[in-house]
Amino acid sequence: MRVELTRPAAKYWAILRTQLQNSFAYPLDLLARSVTILLFLWVFVNLWRVTYGAMGSQRIAGLSLADTMWYLLMAEAVMLSKRDLSKDISDQVKDGSVAYLLNKPFNFILYHFAAGLGDSLLVFATNLLLGGALVWWLVGPPPGVLGWAAAVLAALLALLLDFCISALIGLAAFIAEEVSAFRWIYQKFLLVLGGLLIPLDFFPEWLQNVSRALPFAWIVYGPARLFVDPSAARLADVLLHQMGWLVGTGLAVALFYRWVVGQLTINGG
Amino acid sequence: MRKTLSFLFSLWKTNLLSAMEYRVAFLLQVFGMMLNNAFYFLFWVIFFDRFEQVNGWALEDMFMLFGVVAVAFGAGTYLFGNALHLAGIIANGELDYYLSLPKPVLLHMLASRSVASSAGDFLYGLFSFVVAIVVTGEFSTGMLARYLLACVAAMAVVVGFLVLVQSLAFWIGNASLLTGNAVNAIITFSLYPITLFDGTAKLLLFTVIPAAFVGALPAQFVRTFDWASLGQLLLGAIVFLGLAIVVFYRGLRRYESGSAIQVRM
Repeated sequence: MRVELTRPAAKYWAILRTQLQNSFAYPLDLLARSVTILLFLWVFVNLWRVTYGAMGSQRIAGLSLADTMWYLLMAEAVMLSKRDLSKDISDQVKDGSVAYLLNKPFNFILYHFAAGLGDSLLVFATNLLLGGALVWWLVGPPPGVLGWAAAVLAALLALLLDFCISALIGLAAFIAEEVSAFRWIYQKFLLVLGGLLIPLDFFPEWLQNVSRALPFAWIVYGPARLFVDPSAARLADVLLHQMGWLVGTGLAVALFYRWVVGQLTINGG
Repeated sequence: MRKTLSFLFSLWKTNLLSAMEYRVAFLLQVFGMMLNNAFYFLFWVIFFDRFEQVNGWALEDMFMLFGVVAVAFGAGTYLFGNALHLAGIIANGELDYYLSLPKPVLLHMLASRSVASSAGDFLYGLFSFVVAIVVTGEFSTGMLARYLLACVAAMAVVVGFLVLVQSLAFWIGNASLLTGNAVNAIITFSLYPITLFDGTAKLLLFTVIPAAFVGALPAQFVRTFDWASLGQLLLGAIVFLGLAIVVFYRGLRRYESGSAIQVRM
């Protein structure tokens, strides 16, 4: 493998590709990771079938049972594919291995981003494939090509946004050391306010407004809702929100990283 | 029996003392987990606010369900924390340490670790039980006794199931992914109303993934006493604990280690 290390993008592309090849090398691991999505989708189809039945209506807040299930597939695929970078970073801070990564000829944050994305891409595709097969079998065919294209684009930006927030939590380990609690709570925000367990459309209006004002919805709800309703207006709305949050959180990561590394003292060994 | 109990209490005390060495981290994990569970529960608050009932289950039933599951899972993985790590311990040859000491191997190994965040699950479960009492206005000493019994039985099933699944590492080596999926499955299914599932699924939830013994059945027993539920609860606890012990010791006969040097601090 020939890598021109002087070109910055090439370095990170090589890291991403290596991680991707690593995922391909263990197909059974990949399949085992995707079992979880089947489990959740099976529970959801039971829950929402009963709920739609009890309501006695074909649509709730404009979504049919099939729409809701395809929405949940995309939401779960994003959630279960993303690499938990906050854990990677905080583990490296706690066990001291961060010292070996900081002096390598790459940016610590971009290294994690490339490795994380390389790990997530194949898992995302496998989750969509296996989960999609189950949902198709249970509730009928998927949305059209436009839905796939718009949702995949938004899902990539969602992974990026999640990375920025996870990096902020991980970097907090330089100060607090133990960041598990922040991580769990962030995941639960994604679960509830992000719309992973229930589409935001089913929320009372005031809570929908609160959720839309926070970044979590644009990591989960945005791509998932676009998947079942890929209108131009919705695409613009999702992308604008994602870009806005990316600029804000990306800047915060850069500043916070510079500050914590400045505070770091490494004692030989 | 008394000696074993006293040994167990010594282990739990040591675990607590060592956690207290990092008091802030411990408390952060405990309160963090309580908050984590509370945020998760928000889903059901939002759900029942919109839909009111699902096949006879309402929000107060979910408070009771969480009250049982969180206490059972929290107590089980706090008191027997290595139940979550057994597969790794087997695969890495770390059982050597326990084998060389004159104590029951399985019990010693399981109780040698307490997971700090599990204490948060346990406390959240108690909180949820109290909320269930306040919301329904139902309380009696009989109910409290049933709650304690139901939580102990559910805890036995949780620990038994974890040991059973992870003991597969004796035969298949690296069982961490299987274990991860099994833990996910039992937690996920135990936290949903059982009335969502049909006959075949229910059968699975009483056998392959015994989530019904951890959630729906004990929660129902706490609310209303009946002999059939009591019998099922006790039978589930005995069967899963018994199976776990038999399979673990069967597997232990196949155990080989690389004589790796291990340091325990």
